[in-house]
Amino acid sequence: MARIVQRLPSVSPTRLLIWRAGAVIAALLLTTLFLALSGRDPALLAELVVRSTVGSRFGLEDLALFMTPLMLTGAAVTVTSRIGIWNIGAEGQFYAGAIGAAGIGLFVHGPALLVLPLMTFCGVLCGMAWILVPTLARAYASVNEIITTLLLNFVAALLTSYLAVGPWHDRVTGALASTARLPVAIPDLWGVVHWGFPLALAVVAILAATLDRTRWGYEVRISGANPEAARYAGIPVRARIVAVMLLSGALAALAGVSEVAGTVHRLQGGIANNFGYFGIVVAVLARGSCLNVLPAALLMAFILDSGIVLQTQQLTASTVLAITGLVLFMISIGDELAHYRPVSTSKEAAP
Amino acid sequence: MTDAPSSGEAPPLPPGTPPILQLMGISKYFPGVIANADVSLDVRPGEIHALLGENGAGKSTLMNIVTGIYQPDAGEIVLDGYAQRLASPQEAIRAGIGMVHQHFKLVQAFTVAENIHLGWRDTPPRASTRVLEARTRALSERFGFAVRPDARIADLSAGEQQRVEILRVLARQARLLILDEPTAVLTPTEARDLFRALQVFRAQGNAVILISHKLDEVMDISDRISILRGGRKIGTFATADCTPAMLARTMVGRDIVRRDLRARPPGAAPVAARPALGLRHVTTRDERGIETLRDVTLDLHGGEILGIAGVAGNGQRELTQVLTGLLAPDAGDILLDGVPVATPDPAHFARAGIGHIPEDRLRSGLAPSLDIADNMALREYDRPPIGGRGGYAPRAAQALARQIADAAAVRIPDYAMPIRNLSGGNQQRLVARREIRIADRILVAAYPSRGLDIGAIATVLGYLTDLRDRGVAIVLVSEDLEELLNVADRIGILFQGRLMATIDAATADMETIGLLMGGRTAAHTGGTT
Repeated sequence: MARIVQRLPSVSPTRLLIWRAGAVIAALLLTTLFLALSGRDPALLAELVVRSTVGSRFGLEDLALFMTPLMLTGAAVTVTSRIGIWNIGAEGQFYAGAIGAAGIGLFVHGPALLVLPLMTFCGVLCGMAWILVPTLARAYASVNEIITTLLLNFVAALLTSYLAVGPWHDRVTGALASTARLPVAIPDLWGVVHWGFPLALAVVAILAATLDRTRWGYEVRISGANPEAARYAGIPVRARIVAVMLLSGALAALAGVSEVAGTVHRLQGGIANNFGYFGIVVAVLARGSCLNVLPAALLMAFILDSGIVLQTQQLTASTVLAITGLVLFMISIGDELAHYRPVSTSKEAAP
Repeated sequence: MTDAPSSGEAPPLPPGTPPILQLMGISKYFPGVIANADVSLDVRPGEIHALLGENGAGKSTLMNIVTGIYQPDAGEIVLDGYAQRLASPQEAIRAGIGMVHQHFKLVQAFTVAENIHLGWRDTPPRASTRVLEARTRALSERFGFAVRPDARIADLSAGEQQRVEILRVLARQARLLILDEPTAVLTPTEARDLFRALQVFRAQGNAVILISHKLDEVMDISDRISILRGGRKIGTFATADCTPAMLARTMVGRDIVRRDLRARPPGAAPVAARPALGLRHVTTRDERGIETLRDVTLDLHGGEILGIAGVAGNGQRELTQVLTGLLAPDAGDILLDGVPVATPDPAHFARAGIGHIPEDRLRSGLAPSLDIADNMALREYDRPPIGGRGGYAPRAAQALARQIADAAAVRIPDYAMPIRNLSGGNQQRLVARREIRIADRILVAAYPSRGLDIGAIATVLGYLTDLRDRGVAIVLVSEDLEELLNVADRIGILFQGRLMATIDAATADMETIGLLMGGRTAAHTGGTT
């Protein structure tokens, strides 16, 4: 059988982008098809989605609110992927950060200018503590970090629920499963969008510069691409793994801090809202590049936001998950297909 | 072993008995490599047939063809007088051919009995542990290989594991047993036991093919010896007609082109009186506690090339790692400018001007998925213009990469493409140039010409002699004796981690080196002429 396609050893970014755009369109078309088959009016739904996301001020504000934690958790997962490690525990570290920030916010009283940095500091510290055991286990005993970080997510989620309904429960309003509203908040910037959004943008930009333009970033890159070559060059691989994993925990925790202090203003069960897991999706879409985290987080935010809109139209929540899955699925197919091109020498080209 | 195996002599064969295995004109080609060319060989019932050859002589490929792993591109396999096609290892086993590989293929977590019965047609479909162990015990007694049926493989010594492997093969009614370097992992006592068992096996009219580098043991145990070189069979000799010296010569000796590259141009740096780097009684052990280097003492002088000869796997890797700070000795000292190094660190060694062209470029010297610029910066990323103040300047890295590529005469279309897209030869040349840049004092080059064509080899060796003339001390590890004799000033020979001798290359002869590589000490060689 004649070979009709040829595999390219490397793919240019433009080529990849075209295939990805095609993949997203294909996923949307498929979604439309199924919506139409189930008796919905796709045009009406599409118009609604556009209007309530990018088509209105409220929609754009929501989009930015969704994007803020996604940028940070996406960056958290991306940074470990640079050294060949998968932090599946951004969700847990998000909770840890939220707990740390809420703890300070609830019990330390003072001017916001003092309390907010303290909340951030404490939250970040909690996130790093949450990933500490998986980090040490990975660096010193080669224990697979995927399992350890994942399992700690459930512990963190349960701990948060416990605090929210138990010791830190709001006794004044009697709200279910939530602490009292924090006395301090990250100031708003534009509507409900708070300063956490530009902060997250800045963090991602600084991280990108650190990874691409510093000696440390280079050492991380080499350690991830080939640990043996790193040792050959005298790079302390173990120390780099520890630093990168702690940094990842800190980034995910920062997302939790910003969510507690800027968006939700209280600690409640399920506050992480799967942002940690969606961070993995963002990182996969970003393919190890920090700057790519920005568009990937935007796409993810758009999908999540659309999902909420669709839910108001009596579509179930699992529809949203299904659409997310479909988009990812199509993109990974697109990424793979981008490696192939038809061989022009054969006369009977592939249809 | 001087006690003649009187009990193990082969029974006389009736005339006209066909060989167990006959290879006729076997050829096997891989892209760019002729692994075997027109090899004809016969193995008779009741003989132990030794197969000798250097690394890359084609022994493994030939045995892979005999055991059905590869299909020959030309030639025929004749078993007991009938031509056969061995399409798979299973067919080879059914035809009575069994191989024990150098690296055992046993399931570590299973018991001996389970390993013996794994994937065997004769295993009863519903067998309890007791039945399997009883069957194993019976097999063990029948073939004379003592094993403990209920022991886990992971708990066994190398010698015991080997017995399990052999028993596994014999249980499947093998009549031709192929052993690849069987004594490499054995103690002398275990080796003696193995040979006794092989003699019993031979006495029953079976045959053994023994692949070995140890000339003494080949002389002791084998009936006939075939020698491969460069994929071709040089000849088959009755062991009684052979001497170790003659075997060594035939194995390594080709038409040697003694192109003396030792001559220094005027103005070249003289050999430094004080050693730049020295090892004193250095011993290293692998993770299993087996000694990989034993009591090695040597000195590297600036302006001199020290060649390291030896069959692969005799401590070369560990020696290069110790010399470049990658591996800390378990005993003994590394002296850098006469000062003992407390904790060796590869970055410290690199900064001290020690370059290292590693044996396995892609695995240890490069990050295949990263771009060429990143890879070329590996040795200089911590200093200006790339490094400096904790930064990393991609443009400077690219400029460096361009400079290295120009020096190496490698044409690179795109510096941002992953380095794995380059050919092996180009990767090799880039790594060599990268290391030469930092090798102000010492360059440790492991098999720098491996995988290169003749022109490229000359270029790389030219790099080395140029460095030598600039006063750099060079360690050249090579499996190519010709190359060593042409380039090196002194040659050290490694055998089982021991530095057997360091001899002057100008007066060295192939035969002495061959004998030392086969584990004969200089005292032994003195007797032969």
